[in-house]
Amino acid sequence: MTDGEIRELCNRFFDAYQDRRVDELAEIYAPDCIVWHNVFGRETSGAENLAALPKSYAGQRRRTYDDRTIHTFAGGFVIQYTLHGVQHDGHRGALWICIVGLCRNGRITRIDEYMDSSKFAAWAGRKR
Amino acid sequence: MRRDSELLALCDRFFDAIEQKDFATVETCYAPEAVVWHSHDCLYQSRESNLQTLRDGMNRLKKMRYRNRRIHTFEGGFVQQHTLFVTHPNDFVGQMDVCFVAYTRDGMISRAYEYFDTGQIERFLGPPQASRSEA
Repeated sequence: MTDGEIRELCNRFFDAYQDRRVDELAEIYAPDCIVWHNVFGRETSGAENLAALPKSYAGQRRRTYDDRTIHTFAGGFVIQYTLHGVQHDGHRGALWICIVGLCRNGRITRIDEYMDSSKFAAWAGRKR
Repeated sequence: MRRDSELLALCDRFFDAIEQKDFATVETCYAPEAVVWHSHDCLYQSRESNLQTLRDGMNRLKKMRYRNRRIHTFEGGFVQQHTLFVTHPNDFVGQMDVCFVAYTRDGMISRAYEYFDTGQIERFLGPPQASRSEA
């Protein structure tokens, strides 16, 4: 994949995630895709990640993946971004996230996600 | 600074120097204008302040090891994912998964972003009484 193709795939992935297009996300994940989250410390399959999305989406009225800074490398990308969310009660929160993605043949084969779970309460508008 | 090999060498030199408590080499890896951002406070730490933090860690901790390093270089920088293992004075071994994104200039790190989970801070620092009072 060229740098341009990797960058386009990265943006397509985050646009689909933002707009809750789960069908498109299923096309973007390679069949053997692995998703790892630092806050859980374990790997899940792409299918497991997609299955968890409806419940995850239900938590907020809106999410936007902003301030995207993307760099590509051979076979993947690193993206730093701000996830803004609006809860159902109108509370607005933000999380600062970095993802390293690996790609093959136009699809994502691995995602490693880094964020700070101590920010979850503020993100959701809950008292810690 | 565009060659992958130079970026890889800088990355290894920086983290190896921290492991070896070679503060002089660590210092040379940072450009004069270097700043380091952390995901727990979303603030940029100055070069001097960050170097002091690193120096304190080198002096206080028995051992610092960056394991499972996965490095990718890109135009003007690199990203390293690693697990940092630290041995505290009370022999508690803490660990933390970190993603370090560095932007470089003339063979030095000019800006860096560190992402990690302080929600798991006890896994890194140890139980509150056991390690922090002795640290």
